[in-house]
Amino acid sequence: MNVFQAVFYSLSTPIFYKLMLISATPLIFAALGGVFSEVTGVTNIALEGIMKIGAFTAVVFTFYTGNPWLGLLGAIIAGVMLAWLHAYVSIRWSADQIVSATALILIASGLSAFLMEPIFGHSGQTDFVAKIPKVKIPAIQNVPFFGQIFDEMSIFVYLAFIAVALSWFLIYKTPLGLRMRAVGENPKSADTLGVNVFRIRYFGVLMSGVLAAFAGAYLSIGELGQFQENMPSGKGFIALAAMILGNWNPVGAMWAALLFGASDALNIQLQSILDIPPEMKALLNLLPFVITIIVVSGFVGKTRPPAADGVPYEKE
Amino acid sequence: MKKAVLLVLLMALVVSSFAFKVIMVSDVGGLGDKSFNDGTWAGILKAKDKYGIDVQVIQSKEQSDYVDNLSNAAKEADVVVAVGFMMSNALFDVAPQYPATKFIGIDIAPPEGGKVPKNVQLYLFKEQESAFFVGYLAAAMTKTGKVGFIGGIAIPPVERFRYGYMAGVKAYNDIYGDNVEVVVGYTESFTDAAKGKSMALAQYAEGADIIFAAAGACGNGVIDAAKEKSLKLYGIDANADLATVIDKYFEKGEGYFAIGVDSDQDYMAPGYVLASALKRVDNASYYGVRDAYRNRFKGGLQVLGALEDGVSLSQMKYTKGLVPARILAEIEYLNYAIKSGLLVVPDNENDLNNFSADIEFPF
Repeated sequence: MNVFQAVFYSLSTPIFYKLMLISATPLIFAALGGVFSEVTGVTNIALEGIMKIGAFTAVVFTFYTGNPWLGLLGAIIAGVMLAWLHAYVSIRWSADQIVSATALILIASGLSAFLMEPIFGHSGQTDFVAKIPKVKIPAIQNVPFFGQIFDEMSIFVYLAFIAVALSWFLIYKTPLGLRMRAVGENPKSADTLGVNVFRIRYFGVLMSGVLAAFAGAYLSIGELGQFQENMPSGKGFIALAAMILGNWNPVGAMWAALLFGASDALNIQLQSILDIPPEMKALLNLLPFVITIIVVSGFVGKTRPPAADGVPYEKE
Repeated sequence: MKKAVLLVLLMALVVSSFAFKVIMVSDVGGLGDKSFNDGTWAGILKAKDKYGIDVQVIQSKEQSDYVDNLSNAAKEADVVVAVGFMMSNALFDVAPQYPATKFIGIDIAPPEGGKVPKNVQLYLFKEQESAFFVGYLAAAMTKTGKVGFIGGIAIPPVERFRYGYMAGVKAYNDIYGDNVEVVVGYTESFTDAAKGKSMALAQYAEGADIIFAAAGACGNGVIDAAKEKSLKLYGIDANADLATVIDKYFEKGEGYFAIGVDSDQDYMAPGYVLASALKRVDNASYYGVRDAYRNRFKGGLQVLGALEDGVSLSQMKYTKGLVPARILAEIEYLNYAIKSGLLVVPDNENDLNNFSADIEFPF
């Protein structure tokens, strides 16, 4: 099979779409988190850290309670707490948001590595815990093609798309969304019109904590049933790229995340389909990045962040 | 009274300073990785039980700690054990500075140019031999005529696993006139379990039903994929006991399996991990410490194969009942053939291409 045949073959298999969704789901959640925070004018590059702490807490709570849903709840609480720290120093004290977020990433990896020893008795990776059960849709199981994609999907995959729709509605169709955008574009005017800039920004950052925690929990108790120290292995940063590529819009971020997911899935499939030497397969692993660069440089017009993104607001 | 206590303390101090001391410097994986570090430590503990030596471990948090940790250990200990490929450069930097201390490098290859410092004993493994067994087993057990291999990064030990695995499959094909295929993929990571799982799902979709993962912690994802696919095929839930799993396998006449690597990973998902290709780092560290303790330390490189108990097939505690007795006997014979030199498992691409199993089973 030559490369083109292999690519077309891959695109014609249901597993490609399944892998694409699996790989895009955490990116969608985290990118939405980024959108929420940045639309209100607070940059949040700590998504990686919040995902990590979310993934870790989810496993810890599941480990102690035996119930993965409580694990998810724990992840959300931990995610919100971490995001609150970011909000507190960058909104209340006008700290540099990049520095604050970097600190959070370090705290997250330090904390999870440190706590693994007393809780599980060893570092590196935790024990296996219960996973959130997969959704089975009997009606779709016998439909050709689609049946094989959706026969057993994590509920997180569906939740991710629901979250996209809700976020879009919230940000573009509700008064709260209008205020969020106003605060992100021109906090001073918004303040003059009686919008509580601080409160709206807190809301945006805390929501990003919730969504990034979902992304982390999906990685640990959604798919694997275990936390590993290297989780989420850079997915938080790829989600930031998806957010920018999607022009700070929930739907755009979703498409970008799906694109990253698709290139990841394509690489994974081509690895096994193509009969090429190992050195070439190592290069194949660069495919997602190459596709990203091509798309970013060629196909997407100029993206524009919210005008007050990253600028602390201080009342006069 | 006080004087007596002081005397005892003083004697303890004197004795302890003469005691033979071994310090292991872990790599960033640290103790608890259920793989390299734990394995090496187990070997050191075995030596401790046998010879009553002092043992200690220094855990490295980052790669940049290696040099410091090795140096600190070298100042205190008689023997320093360095674990893992990633510590190679640090070991060859530090060892010449402490000529009185003996160093043991587990899974560390000689530096470019091939000169190993006199006070360093390196151990490498014939990964291809243990992979040969699991390759043969996978080929014998597949119902689809296709088996998978998932490597981490294509570094030499991973590639040796692949050569051995493919040779094992080829041997089965030669002997039985079969045509089992191998699909190969690399995750380009030893830690991204999510990617390991996705790749396993892709290979299962391609028609493979048994996958050997030589990819570190990525393998956890492969094992999880095998379990998930089997659960669906068998129609049972995740808590089903081993007996049910085995019954269902025979009832369906097929199943999905993963094959573990390095340490015995069969327990991680009983009934879904067919076997593990073991790399006995515990034996290597035990041999090293034992030789140093008995003053038989030579320095240089030793490559441990099946003959030296450096590599082997796991005991298959949970899955032995799934495998036909004849296949188990054949693997036992192949083990004998390798140990006695009748069969040489290829450890490079060239030998693999020219490899043919010239084996007649005596039964």
